[in-house]
Amino acid sequence: MSTTTDCGCQPTPATYTVKDFRSNLKPIWCPGCGDYGVVTALYRALVNIGRPPHEIAFISGIGCSSRIPGYTTAYGFNTVHGRALPIAQGIKMANPDLMVLVAGGDGDGFSIGGGHVPHAIRRNLDLTYIVMDNHIYGLTKGQLSPTTPRGAKTPTSAYGSIEEPVNPLLYVLAYGAGFVAQGVPADMEGLSNLIEEAIRYPGFAFVNIQSPCITFGEPDDQLKAQKSRMRKLAAEGHDPSNRLRAMDLAQAYGTELYTGVFYRNPNPPMTYDQHIRERQAELRGTADLV
Amino acid sequence: MNDLIIGMAGSGGDGIVSAGESLISAFSREGYYAILTKSFGSQIRGGESSCRLRVATSPVLNPGGTLSVAVVLNWEDFIRFGGELPVGPHTVVIYEKKTGVEPEAIPLQVRPAVVVAVPMAEMAMKAAHTLQAKNNVVLGLLAGWFGFGRQSILEGIRRKFGKKGPEALQGNEQAFAAGFDYAEQNPLDAKYRLDPPRAGGGKRRVTDGNEICAAAALFAGCKFFGGYPITPATEIMQHLQKDIWKHGGSLLQAEDEIAGIAAAVGASYAGRKAMTATSGPGLSLKTEVLGLASLAELPLVCVNVQRGGPSTGLPTKPEQADLFAAAFSSHGDTVRPILAPISVEDMFGITVEAFNIAEEFQTPVIVLSDQEIAQRKDIVDPVDTSRFKLVERLQPNAQELENYTRFRLTDSGISPISHPGLKGGSYLAAGIEHNEAGAPSSSGEMHAKMNDKRLRKLSPLLQRRDLFVIEGNPDAAIGVIGWGSIAGVVLEAVRTAQAQGIDVKLLIPKLIYPIAEVIYQEFFRSLRHGLVVEQSHQGQLHRIIRMWTDVPRSFTSMAKSGANPITPDDVLQRIVLLSSGSASTPAPALIPTP
Repeated sequence: MSTTTDCGCQPTPATYTVKDFRSNLKPIWCPGCGDYGVVTALYRALVNIGRPPHEIAFISGIGCSSRIPGYTTAYGFNTVHGRALPIAQGIKMANPDLMVLVAGGDGDGFSIGGGHVPHAIRRNLDLTYIVMDNHIYGLTKGQLSPTTPRGAKTPTSAYGSIEEPVNPLLYVLAYGAGFVAQGVPADMEGLSNLIEEAIRYPGFAFVNIQSPCITFGEPDDQLKAQKSRMRKLAAEGHDPSNRLRAMDLAQAYGTELYTGVFYRNPNPPMTYDQHIRERQAELRGTADLV
Repeated sequence: MNDLIIGMAGSGGDGIVSAGESLISAFSREGYYAILTKSFGSQIRGGESSCRLRVATSPVLNPGGTLSVAVVLNWEDFIRFGGELPVGPHTVVIYEKKTGVEPEAIPLQVRPAVVVAVPMAEMAMKAAHTLQAKNNVVLGLLAGWFGFGRQSILEGIRRKFGKKGPEALQGNEQAFAAGFDYAEQNPLDAKYRLDPPRAGGGKRRVTDGNEICAAAALFAGCKFFGGYPITPATEIMQHLQKDIWKHGGSLLQAEDEIAGIAAAVGASYAGRKAMTATSGPGLSLKTEVLGLASLAELPLVCVNVQRGGPSTGLPTKPEQADLFAAAFSSHGDTVRPILAPISVEDMFGITVEAFNIAEEFQTPVIVLSDQEIAQRKDIVDPVDTSRFKLVERLQPNAQELENYTRFRLTDSGISPISHPGLKGGSYLAAGIEHNEAGAPSSSGEMHAKMNDKRLRKLSPLLQRRDLFVIEGNPDAAIGVIGWGSIAGVVLEAVRTAQAQGIDVKLLIPKLIYPIAEVIYQEFFRSLRHGLVVEQSHQGQLHRIIRMWTDVPRSFTSMAKSGANPITPDDVLQRIVLLSSGSASTPAPALIPTP
């Protein structure tokens, strides 16, 4: 996957270990948080892909999960709440040679930053968006998130939530994302494979990770419970090229815990960044300045 | 005459603005200088429209005040523009005879020098069989009476109508000729004729602040633009989208204002010079991401073309009331440099300077343009780009990359910045406070050190005398300050006052913020009377200067809400008042000489 780039990047043999991607910052996450599993799965995926850390830009918003770039040796950017996607798109447009990863929580992606998701999808830059979906605002201590189930009692819904949660899977499928998957940290191997596959997909790829909050989340929603509840889409015989079937399955978000690839576009269209390169090559040097 | 101000008003379909554009192109070719401003009702199409064109044999500093010539196609429309098209006792008024108003009964407060009713519609119908040719009748009348541009205007008509077939071309040529002949047969006093230009137009061009901003950005090395359409800033994006690819850059019309600046911050993080442009409401939305750029120390240029506010306000009219927002709208202790151009031409240098300051000091820079500079048309001389040095951000050297510390506390406060792709330079950028290495930190001690670093690094800006225009006797007791598009008005007023023997000096800051205290104090040292002229209701610059520095006892504000023109005459009158006042009430200079 390594390429020579105009950013000074050099081709590097793909011989990395997890240590090469793990930074020496100690995570602020609570012991038992699902996000530990996510970052471990990510290290493994990055080892398999073999891009050197300095060619990776890892962008996040605000929230517990958005601390994740700091725990890697990639170039990280822990931005402001809800704006990771547009910032990541600017990075990828400015230097399409970079591998660009975006991460955040359900609040970051589907509440405060929800307006950016459809546009990131329809533009289709080659980037990977990982949402750590814990159905709660953990960093601010347990308020309603956009994916909190109806009826949930939280510090901002003492009498129970009276709104329907967002369905992130259906949301991104409806806007036409080329790669849509869901994983759980309880299935480390499956999760790391999904992240790797998402990164390798040439275009906008979305991975929803059901990453339980051990402090404010539901006790029956923790890692152990995930293991017994999860249903692998591959084992269910799902054909990931079937977008309508994927949407059908995605409707079970919140009731069934499906894991695996919901949808992968079998014929990925040209990405936005490829269009940019083409346009620049076509027009370069024709400028008539001032 | 060597300086002529023409104001024209009509309904949307009358082609008044198009006539103004034809005139300024003709003036440019002939070697005159001119400024064209347009004003519309808020309708998308139709409604009343007007333009004013000031033409002179030497560079024009501002759109001017009272009209030399008023062209009225429709009285209702003309009067709607009120103070934007003021008629005085020396004005020549030319109006459409079809309005049925007798020359003695025209609906104006003053009695103009000359009033002529011309059957413009009738002449257009006769010459071209369409009322649309009315504006060419107007051009013919102006060329005939004021003695300019016949050949150049005709060339313009040929270029414009040549494509539309021989019939249209002939009709419009005849309409122009009809106007011209009418003027010759009904001559005005020769004193109204415009002097010939001093030299040929050469490579001068007609441009506006938004267009020249885009050209300057590309010259400065801008490789990314992220933005969202908003009046009156949109043209910056429109110009850039044509050319930025040719320079190896790219542009994003984002889903909203926030995404626009966010993408630009991303591009800057990726190591490219990046920019966004907006107007008031957009600036409000971009505020949080501007704060991110301040804390993550990322270079970024944000052009804010001011219009009337708050909220939607007056989207098509100029105002200078976004200064407080630009200076203070970030939460936390932060200072962002703010620059303001004083003319269309100056927008080139200011834009280049904004990129240079952003890159050198690793900070967002706000350029406060305004609707007038952004959208008025000026005839400008070719830009001498050899005047400009381009600054690149300080990158870590090989040794620094061995143990890279992104936010190292240096003496200057500037630390070398890497970018993704650079081996050894990996770091965590963040909106969260950090230590020198970039790791999140909530230590009060570290926060104070980093705040100090981020402010300290800007201190060289306070010595940038080249970002101030200072004119006049350094010991003068009266001093006038103006900024942005009002600067040209103040310049003219002060020079006129000086020519009348009034001892007055002038300070025009282009670096608006941080306030260069020392430069202001020097200026104030001899003053008994200070006056800040600006187009905002509160007098925002006046107040910010007072916040930062001791001011003379009589430090007054001449401030008007947006869309209310301030003319050189208005300012001159204030200077005259101050000069008579200072003579009668001698007051010691407030700021003692050290």
